[in-house]
Amino acid sequence: MQYRVLLVDDDRDMISLLSAWLQEAGFEVDPVMSGSEAIARIDVIRPHLVITDLVMQGMDGMTLLSKIHRQNPLMPVIMLSGKAQIADAVKAMHLGTAEFLTKPIAKEELLDRVRHTLRLAAGESDSGLNFGKEMIYRSEKITRLLEQAKLLAGTDVTVMITGATGTGKEALAKAIHEGSARKDRSFVAINCAAIPEQLLESELFGHEKGAFTGAQTKHEGLFQAANGGTMFLDEVGDMPLGLQVKLLRVLQDFAVRPVGSVRGFPVNVRVISATNTDLEQGVKSSRFREDLYYRLCVVPLHLPALAERREDIQPLLNHFLERVGQRDNMKRKRFAPEAADYLVSAPWPGNIRQLMNVVELCCALTSTDIIPLTMAQKALRDQPAHVQTLKDAKEDFERSYLVSVLRVTNGHVSHAARLAGRNRTEFYKLLKQHHIEPEEFRSSRQASEED
Amino acid sequence: MATRIVRVDPELKDLIPGFLNNRRQDALTIRAALAQEDMETVRILGHRMKGCGGGYGFNALSELGGILEQCAQNRDSEAITNAVDELQAYLAEVEIIYD
Repeated sequence: MQYRVLLVDDDRDMISLLSAWLQEAGFEVDPVMSGSEAIARIDVIRPHLVITDLVMQGMDGMTLLSKIHRQNPLMPVIMLSGKAQIADAVKAMHLGTAEFLTKPIAKEELLDRVRHTLRLAAGESDSGLNFGKEMIYRSEKITRLLEQAKLLAGTDVTVMITGATGTGKEALAKAIHEGSARKDRSFVAINCAAIPEQLLESELFGHEKGAFTGAQTKHEGLFQAANGGTMFLDEVGDMPLGLQVKLLRVLQDFAVRPVGSVRGFPVNVRVISATNTDLEQGVKSSRFREDLYYRLCVVPLHLPALAERREDIQPLLNHFLERVGQRDNMKRKRFAPEAADYLVSAPWPGNIRQLMNVVELCCALTSTDIIPLTMAQKALRDQPAHVQTLKDAKEDFERSYLVSVLRVTNGHVSHAARLAGRNRTEFYKLLKQHHIEPEEFRSSRQASEED
Repeated sequence: MATRIVRVDPELKDLIPGFLNNRRQDALTIRAALAQEDMETVRILGHRMKGCGGGYGFNALSELGGILEQCAQNRDSEAITNAVDELQAYLAEVEIIYD
């Protein structure tokens, strides 16, 4: 197979030199002298690899890289630069460049990096065989997703994983880390929704001693702890707006400034973020910064819900049964066929996490080797699909309370307000908040009396 | 300044005359730019020479390109003149062995 290379440089002598080297090595070369020509050529020649200069007249290499990856997120790009600027190299790697090479470059080095990049792009990395080995699946959807993730692991591109709670977003992020050149460094995960804003800033970026009340010692922060490795920002859509600005600055400058510090510290961290909310909607409603969204979502990966890949349920059940058996040093239990069928067809709103809990519960409460249908049904019924936030739980309770009081009083607002210990005006306000119409609880006679 | 004898990959033999002619043209362009205090043109040409000289086998041209780029950034006209003198002398004397 002859690989096609699109070569982009505004220096004719450089084009001639690199073309000669690549052609001699057996590559088909299509040279262009500007970024805009390159964009136009990509769809025509569909290259296997793009090699571009960084500094060019008109569109520079970084802009070209962004434009290429907007249309072709997995297209490998090698960037050449006349200046060894670390910030440029790190930025290019985060935007998804496969290699960043400094000119003057030797022939063997260039050809070596080109072959290496094409091998990775074809999924022939050394770690390729084991990629995602911790993930349990049989479905075509996850197979294709992991193929994409494997290609991304070979780059430093910033990835955003979307999917409902419990679908395995952190497991996928970890698989990308384990398949990357950063695998020997730290994988640091943080749930942005679980920590209050003030604490989250200090956790992420660190703080100096005495930066605020209670900061008795210096704390280096998770970004510095993840230096050289990968930072996984879970539930990034719940990050407060104030912190979003600070995160954006880190992604732009590749440096963190701890709370209370006057200087920044350079960090080389790959960021993988995840969310179960619609971030595009968040951007529209100004809850999430648009510039940060585009920084984080260079390549999106979507994890489908368990109900959309039911063929994965049986292997997952087997995996968790095996794991529980080994952990508890007990004989591995199994589901009766009708119990397994029931679980395979269940709705699973809590996804893999819910399935894992159901297996745990079934194993704990079944004394025989075979778990019967009744136990599977009970376990699934007893499992909450997900844990609500306190705010949502309070709102649900309040609504349900208002409905019960209105039902008891047949929609008589004054009586209901008295029972609830509120005055009439306050009670009406609460009903309005929850869009509850007291008329719906009244008979026609009571309605006329109330009015 | 490095030696004037340069060993070049025979695969590049066809490209070398054009490459060296372009450098001769660069020397003239740099002098003209210098007369108009157009340091940006000097910097760009120096930067390119630094980037591709070594690849063709002319490490001395990469060194000179780097000097020109730096001098243009420092707006050091005298040093640029010296570097262009050196560039033209090198281009006049360089001997190439293809092996």
